[in-house]
Amino acid sequence: MENVLDYLSAALLLLGSFFVVVGGIGVLRMPDVFTRMHAAGVTDTMGSFFILTGLMLQTGFDGVTLRLAMILGFLWFTSPVATHALAKAALHGKVEPIVHEDERGD
Amino acid sequence: MESVVDLALLGLLAVTAIAVVRVRNLVAVVMLMGIYSFLSAALFVVLDAVDVAFTEVAVGAGVSTILALGTVALVGTRQQRHAKSPVIPLLIVLVTGGMLVYGTYDLPRWGQADNPIHGHVAPEYLADHVPLAGQDGEALEVHIPNIVTTVLASYRGYDTLGETTVVFAAMVGVLLLFVGTGGRRGASARGAGGGDDDPDGAS
Amino acid sequence: MMVVGASIAVLVTMGMAMVRALLGPTVYDRVLAVNMFGTKTVLTIALIGFFTGRPEFLDLALAYGLLNFIGTIAVLKFFQFGSLGASGPPPGETESG
Repeated sequence: MENVLDYLSAALLLLGSFFVVVGGIGVLRMPDVFTRMHAAGVTDTMGSFFILTGLMLQTGFDGVTLRLAMILGFLWFTSPVATHALAKAALHGKVEPIVHEDERGD
Repeated sequence: MESVVDLALLGLLAVTAIAVVRVRNLVAVVMLMGIYSFLSAALFVVLDAVDVAFTEVAVGAGVSTILALGTVALVGTRQQRHAKSPVIPLLIVLVTGGMLVYGTYDLPRWGQADNPIHGHVAPEYLADHVPLAGQDGEALEVHIPNIVTTVLASYRGYDTLGETTVVFAAMVGVLLLFVGTGGRRGASARGAGGGDDDPDGAS
Repeated sequence: MMVVGASIAVLVTMGMAMVRALLGPTVYDRVLAVNMFGTKTVLTIALIGFFTGRPEFLDLALAYGLLNFIGTIAVLKFFQFGSLGASGPPPGETESG
C-alpha cells in the first residue's frame, strides 16, 4: 500500500511542477498584462493543488495534512480574488488590452 | 541538496539587490524590495529560524511595502540623477571595506564549538533545553521544541517584547504621518496609480 | 527525491517571476510578479519543510499566504484610490466645513 501512495505522490508532484514551470514560462512570454495574469493563475491554482496534494499523500492523516489542506483552501480562495482585483486595477489605470478585431467571426 | 536551495536563494537575493540599486523607477524598487523580503524569509526558514522568518514576513512583505508605496506617492516616482560623480565615495568605501576585511583575519574561525562566545550562556541553554538520552521531559526547564524559538521567546523574552514595541511604535508613527497630512498629494501621486479620485479637495 | 525535483521547479519559476518583475513595462506586471513570487514562496516552504523533515514550517507558509494576499490587495487599493483607505477628510477640516 505504501508503494502505491509513494508512486501516486511522485506523479502528483511531477504534474504540479509541470504546471508551475509552464505557468512561469507563460508569464515570461505572454504579450499583455492580462494574459500574463492568466498564466500566473495557472501556477497558483493547478500547480499548488497538485504539489500540495502530492505532499499530503506522503504523510498519514494528522495535523500536517490538515495544515496542508488549509493552505490549499486559502490559496484557492484568495488567488482568483487577487487576480480579479489586479485586472480591475489595471483597467482602471487605463492599460489597454490587446484585442484582435479582425479575427472575429461574422 | 540543501546547499543547492541555499545557492539558488542567495543568487536570487543578489540579483534583486543589484536590481534595487540600478532601477530608477521607485514604484518598481518598492516591488523589488517586497521580493527581497520574501527571499530573505525563505533563507531564514532554511536556516531553521522560524520566528525570525515570521517577523520578516509580517514586517517586510506586508507593512514595509505598503508604507514605502505611501512614501513614493508623496515624493514622486522617479529617482533623481546624482549631480557629482561617485568615484571618490567608491574609493572610500573600498578602502574602508578592505581594512575591515583585513581586520577579520584576527577573529576565531566562524562556528567552531570552542569559540569564546559559545562558552558562557549557550551550554546552559542547551543543557536545559535539549533532552539528553535517557532523560524524560520533566528534567527540562523549557518545553518548546525549537531552540531558536526558545532563545527568542523564553530566555530572551524581554528583548523580543522591546523589539515588538519599537516596531509597532514606528509603524503607528508613520501611519499618523500619512493620515495627518490630510492626504496632501502632488500630481506625482496620480502618475503613480492613474486613479484620480480625490476625496479631500482642500489643502 | 521527487520533492527535491518539485522544489527545483518551483525555484526556477521564482526566477522567472523575478525576470518579469524586472522587465515588466507597467506597474501591474510587477504587482503580478510579486504576488506570484509570494505564492511560490508558500510552496517552497512547504517543500523545504518536507525534505528537511520538519513539517512545522507549514504554519509559516500559512502566514505567508495570508500576508501575501493582504499585501497585494492593499497595494492595488493604493494604486486605484491614491490612499491607504483613509475615509473622509482629516479632523481639522470638518469643523471649518
